[in-house]
Amino acid sequence: MALTIISLMKQVPLPSEMRMGDDGLMDRTKAKSIINVDCGYALEAGLQMKNDNPDAKLIVCSMGPPSFEESLKKALSLGYDEAYLLSDRRLGGSDTYATGLAISTMLKHLGYGKGLNEDFIIVAGRQTSDGDTAHVPSQVAENMHIPQATFIEVANLVDGKIEAKRIIEGGYQMMKLPLPCALSFTPTGISPRRATLSGAVKARNTEITVFNIDDVNLSDENIGLSGSPTIVAKVANIKSERAPIKMSEGHNESELVSSLIKNLKSGKNTIEVKEKKEKKEKKRPEGYEEVDFRNGASGILTWAEVVKGQISRPSLELLTPARELANQLEEGTKVVTLLIGKDIGHLAQELIAHGADEVVVVDDERLEEYRILPFASIFELVINDKNPEIALFAATTAGRELAPRIGVKVDGGVTADCTALEIGEHIDRKNKKIFAPILESRRPTYGESKLATILGFVCPQISTARAGTFEVPTPDANREGIITHFKPELSEENFVSEIIETVIGEGGLQNLFEADVIVSGGRGTVSDDMQLVKELATALNEQGINAEWASSRPVVDEGVAEYARQIGQTGKTVRPKVYVAIGISGAVQHIAGMKEAETIVAINSNAKESIFANADFGIVGEYQDVVPELIEKVKGGFTFGLEVK
Amino acid sequence: MNNHDVISTDVLIVGGGPSGLATAIELANKLEQKGVKKRIMLLEKGASIGSHILSGAVIRPKVFKDLLTTKEYDGIPFDSKVTTDVTVKLNDHSQMELPFHPPYMSNDGNYIASLAQVCKYLAGIAESKGVEIYTGFAVDDMLYNEEGKVAGVKTKDTGVDHHGEKQKNYQAGTVVEADITVLAEGTRGSLAKKVIERFNLDSGKNPQIYSLGVKEIWSVPEGNIEAGAVYHTFGYPLKDKSEFGGGFIYGLSDNRVALGLVVGLDYADPRFDTHAAMQIWKTHPYVSKFLEGGNIIEFGAKTLPEGGWNSIPKYYEDNLMIVGDSAGFLTTARLKGVHLAVRSGICAARTAMSAFEKGDTGKKTLAEYEERVNKSFIHKEMYPIRNMRAVMQDGMLLGGLKMGVQLVTGGTCLFVPKVHADADETQKLSEYQGVPFKERFSGKLEFDKKLTFDKVTDVFYSKAMHDEHQPVHLVVNHPDEFQLSNIEKYGLSEEAFCPAEVYELHIDKEGHKSLRLHAENCVHCKTCDIKSPNGGITWTTPYGGDGPEYNYM
Repeated sequence: MALTIISLMKQVPLPSEMRMGDDGLMDRTKAKSIINVDCGYALEAGLQMKNDNPDAKLIVCSMGPPSFEESLKKALSLGYDEAYLLSDRRLGGSDTYATGLAISTMLKHLGYGKGLNEDFIIVAGRQTSDGDTAHVPSQVAENMHIPQATFIEVANLVDGKIEAKRIIEGGYQMMKLPLPCALSFTPTGISPRRATLSGAVKARNTEITVFNIDDVNLSDENIGLSGSPTIVAKVANIKSERAPIKMSEGHNESELVSSLIKNLKSGKNTIEVKEKKEKKEKKRPEGYEEVDFRNGASGILTWAEVVKGQISRPSLELLTPARELANQLEEGTKVVTLLIGKDIGHLAQELIAHGADEVVVVDDERLEEYRILPFASIFELVINDKNPEIALFAATTAGRELAPRIGVKVDGGVTADCTALEIGEHIDRKNKKIFAPILESRRPTYGESKLATILGFVCPQISTARAGTFEVPTPDANREGIITHFKPELSEENFVSEIIETVIGEGGLQNLFEADVIVSGGRGTVSDDMQLVKELATALNEQGINAEWASSRPVVDEGVAEYARQIGQTGKTVRPKVYVAIGISGAVQHIAGMKEAETIVAINSNAKESIFANADFGIVGEYQDVVPELIEKVKGGFTFGLEVK
Repeated sequence: MNNHDVISTDVLIVGGGPSGLATAIELANKLEQKGVKKRIMLLEKGASIGSHILSGAVIRPKVFKDLLTTKEYDGIPFDSKVTTDVTVKLNDHSQMELPFHPPYMSNDGNYIASLAQVCKYLAGIAESKGVEIYTGFAVDDMLYNEEGKVAGVKTKDTGVDHHGEKQKNYQAGTVVEADITVLAEGTRGSLAKKVIERFNLDSGKNPQIYSLGVKEIWSVPEGNIEAGAVYHTFGYPLKDKSEFGGGFIYGLSDNRVALGLVVGLDYADPRFDTHAAMQIWKTHPYVSKFLEGGNIIEFGAKTLPEGGWNSIPKYYEDNLMIVGDSAGFLTTARLKGVHLAVRSGICAARTAMSAFEKGDTGKKTLAEYEERVNKSFIHKEMYPIRNMRAVMQDGMLLGGLKMGVQLVTGGTCLFVPKVHADADETQKLSEYQGVPFKERFSGKLEFDKKLTFDKVTDVFYSKAMHDEHQPVHLVVNHPDEFQLSNIEKYGLSEEAFCPAEVYELHIDKEGHKSLRLHAENCVHCKTCDIKSPNGGITWTTPYGGDGPEYNYM
């Protein structure tokens, strides 16, 4: 049987037109719909594989309302052979866990899976713009019991194996996976092609197969709200706290830059922040049954990710919310950290110093580098042993694929990319029950415009936390804790995927977290390969300022900057004192990654770019005119108002 | 052509506006009546039908009764029936409502409509009759057979970067072979331009001349204007004799107003800016009172072929017909072309039917298209005022007088000034003797972003978007000449006339002047193709689906 390439695709509302219903669920009826951007890249990746494997069959699968047929038709017009839609009202309200289950059930129904036709590759988008979790590809892979690689930029089928370039913090990894496997694609690879007219004519005459859940033997208990371990409990608006921008005025570059310097001196515009009204203590309704659904589960499990022999900064940050949650729970609730790697035992004490009560060390030479299958298996064993009520992961590329895969193993839901974690309670008025204590995981969503509170009712309650959100706890070298060693038995099945090479560049992530000034260049700075951006950063360094340069996504796409320097990856927030955005349009993801900066200066030739709505000071002007002027001023001692240390 | 997929159809219509859709519907009806099976394909470059449609629009509905069944006709989503119809002369600080309508300007029985919405509706009807409509596909080339006759078109190759290099997602365009190709591209069609040149279809005709219309739609407080109210203005801020045109203000349902300023592109001042003039026009108390307390919801711009009867090229060739604005069917005196576009589509469709019956799609048969047009109200309406636009170069007063003479004589008039192409009317900075636009309106060119807007703000409301990974679709034909003449001698008049800030004159510290192109702002009005001195710019189609995203224009 010939190879089948299965593309998982979701239709999403145009990000600028997203609306939400009163129930906290997406209202898909009003907005114009598009193929989710990342899914577009996955569709293209599938088509590229077909170039090299002309006999391969291309199928595209989706789950959603009948209106999704529009995007499936589009996929057909791009060159896909068959299209399938799982569409059923009973699927409404499914979380990522239930979605992963439903999709894999459909794929098995189509004859793909272990023990069935095994000659297939699943390609999916990394994440969707209306959900932003990046969970479903991992969950589908675990449900199908197949290896996976997420955050893939390019993948080729070579001698029956997939060779893929996986984007990681600070660089990339070359991986090799056997078939069948699942791949999720970042929107940085080969841009989706446009349909040809001949393709559109063909698509017009191709029928889309629509299944309901009965067709694929899916029970309604496992899907929709009843099959979802997590719920959206609350959605609040995120209000911008940034006052209107001060624009520079002038007829030429030097006047514009002088005006900027003057504006910086006089300070930002301010807005009156209304005093928040004291929150009224919510009255607990009487006569409700209090439910402790933990069934004896206790403690908080975190993962200490090791990169280049060091505990990664986001994993240390994670100990801050872990400690706080433990303190909010019963006395004696422990923070347990799992440390996996090769020759890493000496790092355990560092974790204790940062707040862990117990460190479980798994030291194995096969585990020198992170790989999802063995790591997920180890977590499953540790979770079964320790029975924690909460498990936390940093939302790094590894954490974001590992958490959902583990979630499927332990039948739990996962909340992605949280910016706040608290212990609270859930009042179920319908059934007159109060669920407490429960983890309230808050995450920005809908293009960072809303803050959703997600609750899970299965232990462990799993969440990933956005890097840069929490402070690294102050270490206490005298702190005491337990170190235990665990030697799991891991079958060879766990090691079918190989890592061929890991490349981590200089600079990037770590330095960006620590820099006082970040000079960031966008598409408008590609013309000279960002030379002026780099020069500005260097000039600041020469003045004794800790400055670093970074870029927005299009620049990374063009190959001018490495991914490590990209601001606006999901799961990363920088907070320098001054952020200088040059030639950057201000895509939502980018804004999310830098809006915590104290002062934002925007320089762009196009006054209508949204960056100006998210900055304190602005210049409308050309990159090649304004930046040299700015560099001159810096050389003359201008340091964006920062004191030289 | 290698590597291009090839598909065949009997009739190919390029463009999903009123003329193309009318052609499709009428032909589908005729084929059905005669029991003949033919494939009709319609290609539209907009992301959907209506995305690139803009018109005033006050529509004369009668022609739709000829095209549609009563039931279909009753479903047309017209906005409001015209209830009030006023023509006003605006002075600098005052106004005077005319007690009568200028000839041709009565709107009794007409409807205010969003032409985009009407087209969406017509597209639904066409599809229900079996017409295959494909949106989001740009056509950039004609196909000719070995005899040099039109044989179809080719859609644009995609996946090419701005240097013209093929990318990994490159997709060769599709070759569409057609027995009959109907060009319904709208104003200044880029394919129509090619075939007119190739077959000398405009020989012996006046050059086509155009107006640029800049339009906004506002949402206003209840009571500002009633739905169905129609106001036309002339005078302020335009200067009689040198700038021909006027404004329109139409009351729509749901407390919305459509308003715009239309200016003939035959003016001389290289700094004249129609978009800015429209903003200034809005500040006249007669206009601003309708907008008070409201906010803008949409923006767009379009050119109108205004040359009239004498500027219409020969609009058929072997296997080819040109309909609607692409051919120049528009009554300047009425400011209306929709009914003529639809009628030309009907005439073309009937001719196509006749060609199929005769088994000949050559120009001998397609000449019937011209006969049909000449027997229709298109001729009746356009011919008697064939000199109207030409005499208006004399200004509203003398021009109006000569126009009156024409109405009596059936179009004959002495002293008809010669018509030149709009681009040739632009004068160099050093030649222009009048008060330059910016001086005339100094103090009025700061836009408050409440009532008046700069171009980029307005473009935002057109929802125009273009993929940056494509060759720039605005082609500077001779860069050296452009630098020496268009920039140095004319001061980049493109910057002034473009309503969407696509063209920017950059002056660096040393005073060196250069052109900066912002193709992503383009709203597809084609003014640059028409008005650029020396034919400096050629407008080509960008990738299908790019461009503005009009909703109620």
